[in-house]
This record gives sequence, C-alpha cells and structure tokens, in this order.
Amino acid sequence: MKRSFTRTLAAVAAVGLAAGLAACSTGGGDGEADGPLTVWVMGDSSANFEQLVAPFTEETGQEVEVVAIPWDSIDERLTTAVASGSGPDLMQIGLSKLRTFADAGTLLSLDDHLADHPGLAADNFPDGVAEATQVGGATVSVPWVSDTRVLFYRSDILEENGIDAPPASWDELREVAATLAERGEGQYGYYIPQWDSPLPVIMTWDFGGDIIDADGNVDFDTPEFADAVDLYTGLYADGSVPTNSDFDQTQGFISGIAPMLVSGPYLARSIADAAPELDGKWNVAMVPGADEKTSLFAGSNMGIWHNTDQVDASLDLLEYLSSVEAQLSWFEINGELPAVSAALEDSSLQSDPLVAVYSQQLADSKVLPLVPNWDGQTGSDLLAALNAIVLTGADRAATLAELSAKTEGTSIG
Amino acid sequence: MRRATLVPYLFVTPAMLLLLAFGVLPIGVAAVVSTTDMNISGLANWSNVEFIGIGNYVALAGDPDFWRALGNTGLFVAVGVPAIVILSLAVALLLERSGGRLARALRSFYFVPAVTGIVAISLVWGYLYNTQFGLFNYLLSLVGIGQVQWLSDPWLAKFSVALVAIWRGTGLNIIIFLAALQGIPREYREAAALDGAGEWRTTRSIVLPLLGFAIFFVTVTTTIAWLQFFDEPFVLTDGGPLGATTSMSIFLYKEGFRLNQFGYASAGSLVLFAIIAIITVVQLRLRRRDVEY
Repeated sequence: MKRSFTRTLAAVAAVGLAAGLAACSTGGGDGEADGPLTVWVMGDSSANFEQLVAPFTEETGQEVEVVAIPWDSIDERLTTAVASGSGPDLMQIGLSKLRTFADAGTLLSLDDHLADHPGLAADNFPDGVAEATQVGGATVSVPWVSDTRVLFYRSDILEENGIDAPPASWDELREVAATLAERGEGQYGYYIPQWDSPLPVIMTWDFGGDIIDADGNVDFDTPEFADAVDLYTGLYADGSVPTNSDFDQTQGFISGIAPMLVSGPYLARSIADAAPELDGKWNVAMVPGADEKTSLFAGSNMGIWHNTDQVDASLDLLEYLSSVEAQLSWFEINGELPAVSAALEDSSLQSDPLVAVYSQQLADSKVLPLVPNWDGQTGSDLLAALNAIVLTGADRAATLAELSAKTEGTSIG
Repeated sequence: MRRATLVPYLFVTPAMLLLLAFGVLPIGVAAVVSTTDMNISGLANWSNVEFIGIGNYVALAGDPDFWRALGNTGLFVAVGVPAIVILSLAVALLLERSGGRLARALRSFYFVPAVTGIVAISLVWGYLYNTQFGLFNYLLSLVGIGQVQWLSDPWLAKFSVALVAIWRGTGLNIIIFLAALQGIPREYREAAALDGAGEWRTTRSIVLPLLGFAIFFVTVTTTIAWLQFFDEPFVLTDGGPLGATTSMSIFLYKEGFRLNQFGYASAGSLVLFAIIAIITVVQLRLRRRDVEY
C-alpha cells in the first residue's frame, strides 16, 4: 500500500516537471521573434481597430492582436505591465499620460529609427506637435489621432435672445451667457465642467499667456492666468453657470438649459445620436479668444514598448498607421480626427462643415505642458483650487498662493 | 495512526496557502514598501527606490487630505453601521412574523441590491440623484420644493452616498438574521405567551438576547466593511465634491493608482489595517457571554 502510493507520487511529479520544462522553452534564438503584434487601444471595443489593420495583415502577413483598454483602467494596466516587465508591442497613449509612460521607462526611443521610416518624421504632422510630444528631447511616440476643443452653441436659442453670431471673445461670451441665464429659473448661459482641467489653461492661452515659464517650470503667478481666473470666477458670480457637479453636459445642451460650452468632437457625435431633431439648430465655432483663438491639442500618440522583441515589425505597423490612407480610414471607422497633416487637409474631410472648424482650430492649438502627472496632480490641483474658490467661497488670494506653492518645482524638463 | 493525524492538516493546507499568499504576504510586502519612496519609475527600476524609514508615516500625519479621509470614514461608520444593523434586524423580525408567499418574495426582493453589480447601481442612482434631470428632484418639484443638490452639496453628498450603501448592505444581513431567528426554539415564545407577554415584550426579552451572536457577527462584519468603504463614493461622486465623500480607501486608491505613490499609499493602507484590527479586537473583548436559557 505504502510503496504503490510513493511510486504514483513519483510518476506524477516526473510528468509535471517534464511538462513544466517543456513549457519554459522559448522559440526563436535569432534577433526578431515571430508571432502576432499586440496593440493596446483605448476604448471599450477592439473591433474598429481590427478592421483598420486588416489591410496591413493582408499585405504583410503580420498578425495583429488588438486589446481594448477602457480609459479609466489604463493606470492599473500600466502599473501591472511595468511591475511585471511585460507589455504590449504598440500602445495608444493619451497625451495627458504621455509623461507618466515615459518616466516609467516604458517607451522605446524612436530617434535612431526615424531615418529608416520616413512616414514617422515630425514634418508629417502639424507644426510643433511632434516636437511638443518629445520627452526629454527624445522622440518616444508618434501622433496618432488628434482632438481639440471648440465652442458649441445653440444657434436657435441665441437667435431667440437677439444674438446672431457666436461670441467672438471671452468677454463677449460672458455677456451673452449672462443674457441667456436671465431666461428663467434653472436656466444658464454657459457650462463649465468641474472636471475640465484644460479649460482654465485654454483661457490663459487666449489672454496671450501660458502656465509654464521660459524655463519650462509651471508658473501660475502671471497676469494672464489672473485674467483667466477672473473670467472663470466671473462666470460663476454672474450666475451663468450651474454649480452642481453632476450636470449632464449633453442633456443640458439638448434641453437648452446650458446652450453654450467648450468641448470636443465627441460631444458632436453624442448630440447627433441623442437628438437628431436638433440638426441645424446648433453649431460649432473656434474658441472665443479675442486676440488668440488658441485651443487645446489633445488626442493620443502611439508608442512602442521598450523591451518588445519585435521592433522592426512594430515600426512597420506604426508607419502603416501614420499613412494618409490609414488615418482617413480610421476617421471613417471611428470618427477620430487624423493627426497627419495631409490627412487633415484631405477634401473628403473638409467637406464636413464641423470638421472644417475642427481642423481650423487644430491649426491653432497647443499641447498641455508635459508635466510629470497632469491628470493626477497638476491639473487636479488646479481644478481643486478653482472649484474651492467658486463653489465653497474660499479666499481667492490664499487659494491661488497655495496652488503656486503646491505646483512649485513642477516642470516639463 | 500517523496518517490519521496528518489528514486534517492536508485538508486545511490549500486554504491556508491561499490565505498566506493573498492575505498575509501582501500585508508584509506593503509593510516593506511603506518604508520606501516607491513610485512608478521605482517600480520599473528597483535601483530608483530609496529607503526612507518612517518618512511616509510622518508625511501622512501632516497631510490634511488624510485626516479628512479619516474623518469621513469615521462618519460613515458611525452612520452606516447602526443604520444597517437596526434596519436589517427590523426587516428580518417583520419578515419572520408572516411566513406567507409575500414574505418569501420580499426576502429575495431585499436581497437583490446586494447581488446587483455596483456599476449598474451607480448609473441608476446617479440619475435618480441628478440635480437637473433626476427623478427625486422632479418629484420634489411637483410638490413645489426647489432643486436639491444631492451629490454636489458637501454634507448632503455624504448621506446620499451612505444611503445607497445602506440600501445595498441590508440584503445579506437580513438573510443572516432570518437564519438566526429560525434557530430560536418556539417553546420559549410559547412559554412567554403563556406568561402573558405581548409581542414587543417577547421580542425585547426573549428574541433579541438569543440573537446576541448574530447581532455581534453582523456588527463586526459591517464595521470592517464600512471602514473600507469604497464602491459607492467612487462610482457616484469619485470622492465627492472637493473630497467631501473621500473615504480612507478612496484616498489610498488615488494616492496609489492615480498619483503612483506606492510607498505613501502602502503606509496609509497599513494605518487602515491597524485601525480595523484594533476596533475588531476591542469589539471581540467587549462582547459578553452568549445568553443561554
């Protein structure tokens, strides 16, 4: 009895060990490994991206495996990938997270490969964008899709109140908003999302300033930022803006409760889907800067994982994604604006009146400063300070002094 | 003879290994990490990590966000635990009185919130609470009361969020109390009725003391759960209007996963662990012996 038990145990252990060793063996001793390229794409579904890369697979025979990552779980996925050391081959990186990815050492430097892959060169993209997305002077990612912020307005409601054209300056917008807020109880003129950290930065740009100084350090102690804070707090003081944090911007626009707001192309799709009957009653315009109509250049870049074992294949896929055909195809499939200049200027895009405004705005857009952590830290501190002033009545001078102290030393270098 | 004494340990070993690997070991790792300044670049390259001793704990003590989160958690526990225990007990007592089909249907009805996904619950309650377009404010407007900022007012948001959590938490505890109530022999109630005791007197003097252990169990588990309150404030208000509904768990999550400050968050998590352990031990010590008749 005892002897047969030990014998069975030995046999099972031997089989298990053999199976384990067999599984450990890696294939491909030469430079590049084979197999599908893994791509991380932001969003809830990988179907659209798979459709986009199907021609690439057909042409080159390289398989592509697409993994869809919801936006709010990217932080955890990144942490896990960094801790385990194994990530995808390519990944989409939202611009506000680019610095975090780069600091974690997850991105392959592309400078050495740009010569062999002309499709990735900086001049394929709008002025300054490719340079602005360098980290520490090195190119670690390539622009993939672009996004911006424009002024959405209900032309019918504005007309009913005697306003024929969208406001052409922030001061005019403040007046128009006050007029519209007088329509009645519970009616507002403009909506400021309490989670929108780029908005005060856009306002600062439009007043001719910036939130970083010449050395690249964050500086909130400028007259232009003070003007932006005046505008932000003034809109609340006029009663033109809703004060509750759970205001639904789409429903607010559709119902007319907040007939003006600054938002991105995604809102246009939401409005068109939710309220097709409003067609023709609303429009978009460039952000109402008086001298500068500078808006936000947002969007995503594509980067290559630092220790991928398929560098050449990844670069080929990256070049394919930066081709004009792929960029236009992606706009058709998913509705995200191209980042490649030639694609943006394509006539098929320009025929859509909304896209004409977007590309006009993109030509005058800046990237948020690449500080170590905009979403979690700098941008969040900025919002907390402004919201404390307008929602809880905190002392403006003290709160802004605290903000400057908190962000002291933050820089893009 | 020797194999017989080995068998119980063989049965317990798998569970023990899981508990050690996923319960005890992470606490040990967190203790070690909390003495360093590990962040995302430290995670990528361990040579970037520096040992800073109790530096994180000192920083926690001076962080106003930490104290506010602690205060919020204390308030949630003070409001939530008594509410859940009393509510579950009351519903269980009422359900137990009538044994009909309606009572059995109601039992599953009360249990449904506990098993529904939190994201679905948050979507629905988020819209019920919405200031402009929510059902609650619409009903209030029909009676002439103005808009209430359920999730935007710093104080009201705490109670709105706690209400959803109480609604969710009573389900399981009602089932536990119902099971405990079925363990009370009918003879005791009959004897009390013979002595002339009314319903309320019977409940107060016979049923509740015999439910002692169930009440203790529900109180301890609910306290532990509410000290780690996370789901409802996270999905409804993401920590609330300017940190008003940020509990300790949300504070730790934001420090660890949004700011990537793993060392700091580990220190906070150890503080929370110590608080939960102390409160639980105190509750265990305070408990009197079970009532036996």
